This record gives sequence, structure tokens and C-alpha cells, in this order.
Amino acid sequence: MRLYEFEGKELFKKFKIPIPESLLVRSADEAVAAIDEIKAPVVLKSQVLTGGRGKAGGIKTAESAEEARTLAEDLFKLTIKGYPVESLLVEPKLDIKQEYYIGVTIDRANYTLVVIASGEGGVDIEETAEKHPDKIVKLPIAVEDELYTFDALAMAKQIGIPAALIKQGAAIIVSLYNMFKKYDAKLVEINPLVLTKSNLLLAADSRVSLDDDAVFRHPELKEMGIEMRHEEGEMTPRERQATEWGVPYLDLDGDIGMFPGGAGFGIMGNDFIHYYGGRPANFMDSGGGPTPERLAKMLVLLDENPNVKAIFGARFGGISRCDDFAKGVVMFLKDHGLSKPMVMRMTGNMWQEGVRIFEEAKQASPELFKNVEFHGIETPIEEISKRAVELAHHEKGGQ
Amino acid sequence: MAILVDKHSRVMVQGITGGAGKFHTERMLAYGTNIVGGTSPGKGGQAVVERPVFDTVTECVESTGAGVSVIFLPARFVKEAAIEAIRAGIKFLVIVPEHIPIHDMLLVRREAVKHGATVIGGNTPGIITPGEANLGIMPDIAFAPGRVGTVSRSGSITYYVADTLTRSGYGETTCVGLGGDPVLGSTFNEILWMFEEDEKTKAVVMCGEIGGVYEEKATEIIPKMKTPVLAIIGGIYAPPGKRMGHAGAIVEGRMGTAREKLDALAASGAHPCKTFTDIPETLKRLRM
Repeated sequence: MRLYEFEGKELFKKFKIPIPESLLVRSADEAVAAIDEIKAPVVLKSQVLTGGRGKAGGIKTAESAEEARTLAEDLFKLTIKGYPVESLLVEPKLDIKQEYYIGVTIDRANYTLVVIASGEGGVDIEETAEKHPDKIVKLPIAVEDELYTFDALAMAKQIGIPAALIKQGAAIIVSLYNMFKKYDAKLVEINPLVLTKSNLLLAADSRVSLDDDAVFRHPELKEMGIEMRHEEGEMTPRERQATEWGVPYLDLDGDIGMFPGGAGFGIMGNDFIHYYGGRPANFMDSGGGPTPERLAKMLVLLDENPNVKAIFGARFGGISRCDDFAKGVVMFLKDHGLSKPMVMRMTGNMWQEGVRIFEEAKQASPELFKNVEFHGIETPIEEISKRAVELAHHEKGGQ
Repeated sequence: MAILVDKHSRVMVQGITGGAGKFHTERMLAYGTNIVGGTSPGKGGQAVVERPVFDTVTECVESTGAGVSVIFLPARFVKEAAIEAIRAGIKFLVIVPEHIPIHDMLLVRREAVKHGATVIGGNTPGIITPGEANLGIMPDIAFAPGRVGTVSRSGSITYYVADTLTRSGYGETTCVGLGGDPVLGSTFNEILWMFEEDEKTKAVVMCGEIGGVYEEKATEIIPKMKTPVLAIIGGIYAPPGKRMGHAGAIVEGRMGTAREKLDALAASGAHPCKTFTDIPETLKRLRM
């Protein structure tokens, strides 16, 4: 999950990485008040969980309190790549002499951490890497190792930090590495690390991405107000609801409700629907061994989504059990009811028991099953995908 | 012949007394897997399905001669359990739980390399050599002994592919789940090469998906293989924007979309497949 710039800077502060004076504001009035503390000229920086905010007009310079009000009012009306600006970071405008790049990330192919530095900061580092690979310094480090100051000093020197400041530069690099390890990060970047005309090194921006699966080790993040979220952007209300229920879920722009088993077929099932001319309304993953209650809730999400015209269900039971799957579907049909056509296939772990549960429930109350088409291992999943596309098409035609 | 496990493999279970551990131990035994014991700290001396339970992996290895271990423990305990197993001499380790912290997996992989052990997972459905041994959580119904190997990042995709191979009469030598977590104990490369060296495996189906670099890395090894490789990649129509940012892209070199992966694999000599039914059709075209 990605942190906002101001949250990343809070962490920087904890690790003694120098940052500019800064205040977080949530209204134009607050922005004006901030100028009492931070003298103009100031920069107003939109806080959004996506890149490219500068190009989208999300960063403005104000010379006076009045100008800050007008600019802040405009910024609060802005949406950047679909994400509304809800807060601004107010900072003094820096007199920049030089900009550097410092980052730490994971090299998954080689199973190491990597510290990256460049004398060309403040620009798209991806572009620098492609056009001038010689201007980038990389240091792979085994995850169990520490970053030593002598290595950081060498890096600071290589990227051209002035001799009088390399000890301070090295300390920043070491701190960033320690922060990366301490918080189980996937990526931390200072871009740019600014050298001011008065010879100060300051982390002018932060980019921090943490490993969702290790957040449990860092309860202090929650105390700082940092909650679970997507890598990019905030969640839609339905995504938030699904997360509360423990279901990984993404809204997409189509009309077929996807109720697959694991993430693997969740991803490939979306492709299949596209191959046969349909459009999925969502991505969803039941996780390993879901309970009937969770499965029933997954179906509620789809049934109550007005964009969904037909539901596609698939279960190949491995760690998950088909009897639980069948119980979940029956629970949903009884307690909530199905308002749109659904086609599904079930096989794998405990499938005979799953079929028995379906058959019994259907005999007891056949009307609950009138919109359900049920298949077993004998029907290939490709046929089920095609049928879901047909059903959605038919529903739309019938309106 | 098969890779990594067969009916002679002596298999232990870490977390054998837990709900999932016990349930799947019974299933694995029912399949004929040679489960010799398990561990659950504090419960040494008990038995699960008539198999002895030990406090530590070392005790289990010494008493039972186990060389393979399957882990059924919550994610936060996996780092300890995996390093314990590797240091106790386990040479093949199957990590079933999902959501293992990435930094933990980096450490486990380094430990495995140091001791010459192979690790699959986290978030793997396991490994099956049909008719001989089933380690993990895979449903028996999809598999039959045969001549095609599979290696996949997803459990459900493994089942669909194996089911297709089984019903079209090809069957499988061994099916390996690499796992669905972002950092994995093994990559396609190591498993593909094991299949290349296995006499009985006449073709390999590799199932990848969007994200990461493991598919791209496989393009280094596929041209060196005589055994044909079929490739299917999930996420061709996945929405963009769920990947790591710049520094990740620098290291990984703009890799990661499903389309790019499939194109790169095809260029390296793999046979691309779109749906599961394309797989037997491609095998037929290869005169298999």
C-alpha cells in the first residue's frame, strides 16, 4: 500500500531524515493560516495516491496569503487521475541548487534489496535509467545485511554531493535503508533530495510503498492514522465494503459479476470473458478456504451492484471445499435471494458433498434456484464463460 | 520418473495438529503420499492419523528420515518454520500459507540457496506426482499419471490445466505450484530445468500471470530446452495501475504486463496458449 507524501515524511522525521518545514491543510482557510507559520513564497502540494501530480497541475507556488487562498480553492476542486484532492501540504519554496534521487527497493529476480542513487533527481527516474544508465548508481544488499556508512559515503560521492555534505548525505541514505527494513517496505524514494543554495540537504518529496502482508508487525502505523489501502488511489465504496468483509475486490467497468475461486482464475476468468466478447464488472478473490458466510457476502456484493447483469461462478476446490461453497451459495439464495441470472461450475475437493447440498436445497425450495444454471466437471470452463456472456447480453437486450 | 517428489519421498508436515494441517494430512495420506510424521511445538509425543508428532523438525528428521516438509502454519510463523526446516536438513519445502511478508521470503530463499534446498511457495497449492504423491492442497480429481509437466503461479489455474490434460488423455508427470505471493521460493527457471532433465516429461505447460519478473526470466532458459514449453498467461485484460513504481521498474526493466510476458515467451520459443482448450490442440499440432 502506498502512503501519502505527508505520511512518508512523518516516517522520514522519525528516522532523522531532514525535511522542509511543512503543514497539512484540509481547506483554503487552513492554507491561508499556514502562511502565518511558513513564510511566503510557499508551495501548495496536492496529496493524492498517484504519480504525475505536477504535470496534472497539482503543485502551485503562492507569493502571498491572498494568492494562497485562490490557488488552494482551485486545488481543492481538482481531481488527479480520478482522485479528488482532499488535502494539501504547505511548504516553503526551496532555493534549489541541485536535486538528487535516493531510493531503496526489492530486486525480486535476484532476491536482494537494492539501494539506488542518482545525481539527476527531480525528474522521472525511470527515464534516466533508460537514457543514461551511467548516471544511476545501484548497490544490491542481502536482506539480512545492514547498509554500512562507508558504502553510503561512496554512493553520496558518486552522485556528486559536495564534499562538505557527503557525511550528511550518507547518513540520509543509511536512514532511508533502515526505514525500508524497519517498516517492511517494497519501495521508498526521496525524489528529489534537494541541495539548497544555503547548503542544506532536504527530502523535498516522499514516495513510500509498504508490504500489505507485513502491516501486522507495525501497529504504530495505525496510530499515525495510516490505514490499509490500495497501491494507487483510494477505494470505491464497494471495494471498501469488500475489504471490511475480508474479500479482495476491484470494481471494473463491465456488466458480468465475477464470482471465481482463487486469484489466479479470478485474473484469467476476466480474460476469458473478454475473449468471448463480454466485460467483467469486477475482480474478486475468495482467498484460501473461504467460509460459507464469506462466500454468501461475495454474492451479495454482486447482486446489489446495479451494473451486474449476470453472475459467473467458478469453484475448483483445493484448500477451499465445495461443500462450503455450496453452503455459501444456498445461504445467499435463502437469506438474500438472487435477482439476476447466474451460471456456475463446481468441482474439486468435496464436490460430491457440494452437489448433494445443492440438490437437497433445490428439492426443498425449487423457486430459489430458478435463475441458477449449475454445471460440474463435465462442462469445460470455457463453455461457462461463453454462457455468462450470453446471459448478460440477453439481460441487456431484454431491458 | 517425476520431479521433486514420488512415492518414495518421506514427507513431514509442519503444523500437523492444526485444522488445515490435520485435514490435508488425512487427504495426502489417502492419496498414498508417504507421510512419516510432523511437528507442533509443545505437542511432541502425540499422534495425528497414526503419525508421530514432534516438537522440532530436527527430532522429526532424526526419527523418521523425513527429507521433504509441507508447512501449514499462519503466515507470520513461516519464516521461523522454513529456516528451521532448512537447517534441519529438509531438502524440499512446500509453503502452503499465503501472504508471507516479502522480507521474510527473501531471507528464506537465501537460506535455501545456502543449504542446497528447494522451496516452493508461499501461497502454493503444493505439488503432485499423480498416482504417487500429493503434497499440499490440490484436489485429486483433476490429475492422472501421464507425460506433461505443469508449473504455475496459481492453484486454480493448475487445476484447470491438469483437468484439461487429464480429460484429453495426456495426463501429467508432476504438477508444481510456484505460489501466488510476490516473492517466491523458486522461479519458473529452476522447475523448467528439472522437467527438461526428466525423461518422462515430454512437454511442459507454464502458467504465469501479470506482475513480477519470473516469466521474463524464463526466456533465458527456454531456448536451451529440448522439451517443448507451452505458455498461458493470466491478466491480458487486467486493469493497469496495480504495480510497483519507478524504482521497481528500474530494477525490473519495464516488465510485468501479461501481453509483454506472452510475447517475450513466444519470442524465446514457447508456444503461447489463450484458453485451456488451446493446450491439447497445441500438443496435437506438435504431434504429441
